[in-house]
Amino acid sequence: MHTGGDLLVLELGAVVLGLAVVARLARRVGLPALPLYLLVGLALGEGGLVELPASADFIEVGAEIGVILMLLMLGLEFSPHELVVNVRRSTLAGFTDLVLNAAPGVVAGFVLGFDPIVAVLLGGVTYISSSGIVAKLVADLDRIGNHETPVVLSVLVIEDLAMVLYLPIVSGVLFGGSVLSTTVTVAVSLVAVVAVLGIAYVLGDRLSDIALSHSSEALLLTLLGVTLVVAGLAGRLNLSTAVGAFIVGVALSGDIVSHARGLLLPLRNLFAAVFFVFFGLQVDTGLIPGVAATAVAIALVSAATKIATGWIAAGRAGIGTPGRLRAGAALVAHGEFSVVIAELGIAREGDLGALAATYVIILTFIGALLYQFSDAISAATLKKRPRRHRTRP
Amino acid sequence: MRKVTETDLPGVGVRFDLETDAGRVVGVVVHQSGRRDLVVYDDWDVDRACESVELSEHEGHTLGEILGGSPVLEHLDDAVHRLEDLVISWIRIDPKSSLAGQTLAEALLRNRTGAGVVALVTESGSIPIPGGADRLEPGDTAVVVGVPSAVKAATRLLTRPG
Repeated sequence: MHTGGDLLVLELGAVVLGLAVVARLARRVGLPALPLYLLVGLALGEGGLVELPASADFIEVGAEIGVILMLLMLGLEFSPHELVVNVRRSTLAGFTDLVLNAAPGVVAGFVLGFDPIVAVLLGGVTYISSSGIVAKLVADLDRIGNHETPVVLSVLVIEDLAMVLYLPIVSGVLFGGSVLSTTVTVAVSLVAVVAVLGIAYVLGDRLSDIALSHSSEALLLTLLGVTLVVAGLAGRLNLSTAVGAFIVGVALSGDIVSHARGLLLPLRNLFAAVFFVFFGLQVDTGLIPGVAATAVAIALVSAATKIATGWIAAGRAGIGTPGRLRAGAALVAHGEFSVVIAELGIAREGDLGALAATYVIILTFIGALLYQFSDAISAATLKKRPRRHRTRP
Repeated sequence: MRKVTETDLPGVGVRFDLETDAGRVVGVVVHQSGRRDLVVYDDWDVDRACESVELSEHEGHTLGEILGGSPVLEHLDDAVHRLEDLVISWIRIDPKSSLAGQTLAEALLRNRTGAGVVALVTESGSIPIPGGADRLEPGDTAVVVGVPSAVKAATRLLTRPG
């Protein structure tokens, strides 16, 4: 192998080892590792501690694959049927969530003098909680059985679905040309999304049965191949590669899902980490001091609006006070999607990258801590027994 | 017991809750993977699962059987399981029964009622597929299979004098 290749392997190895150290550290203190990966990226990027001349291109491709795998795995969690049922049931909660949480970002964007489309991106950054981090927190703290958990999961599902509409629209506006061509792109992409989901809904398991194979190697290659092709086509249509991958995940259901999860999980973990590093690399760390105060302010407002969202949604489901606080705290953590959205606009507005990176790191830690200690907060503040309620289906 | 409620957990599975007459709530989370979590809700904050025990599919079934009051252990007379048109019943052999102490060959239970004895549960263990020489000892339990009327007739013969 020539020396360029050697250097790439060496750099990559050093980065992955760095991530390993960070992951162990995060585990020890009981915090999510994703924002720490972002910190690693920041440390290695422009104006950071060390530069990565040889592996930058590889990391960029890896990051792209990371987004695709994250979205594919997310899509695998849901069947088309489940999505339809959820949307019907949680429309109101989803709408409250959208209004309360997108507003701070959009308003902040205009106040900071960003382009309108960048302000809309910042609205997306503040709107969406991290399904990945939240799901992991819920599982790690053994709260899957809690009564507020279905409420939290429903809100997350609606948010992820909203991304399926949001990403093609903002991609269309960002990368399309004239108003007319942008409108056409957006319309085409929305029709494509609905059509694919519709076909998957009608065909159900039949589509998955074709893809199923007894050889795990063949299955892995099939899954990756199909996903990359669909994601790539979606990207060509300005429909966003992420959405393409998500739709593939949703379309697959039945027996194939558990196999696919097992096969893809290690890959997802690796490339998702690479994605966070890549985002950190792109952020101009020199801009962070300038936006830090703003990031903290938006993060605090977001924490409050997310808690309000969970509080209201859980209250409507008949959950008592401590559970309502847990539901709110659970939604505070932001992560992968906020970063995916910010990444779209980083070329247009450098401050957006620095702002989003700082915001996500702060909010993820606040969220993880609040969710962990929400019961202690309830116990300390609630003098009397929480209101009893009848469990509702 | 109040009603059992069922709640979807998007992306995870389903949760079942049961509120006891005493006001405590227990639940089971059935994961898509087959894993089950047995959860007990806090008395103070009834939405909080204060205990959560992870069970494999097999462990779940075993626990279910135990809780289902494996009929051999309890409520022997009520223990009736339906399989399509067939009924399986666990019948404790009453000392007053005229068949008590007879071998299966002597009792001719199948000829008399149409129901067959598929197992005998004794203190020292169970006898699956008993033969004609095995005895219907008083106090043991006979596992009887047949159509409902046949099992009913067999129950009468094994539990009443005459």
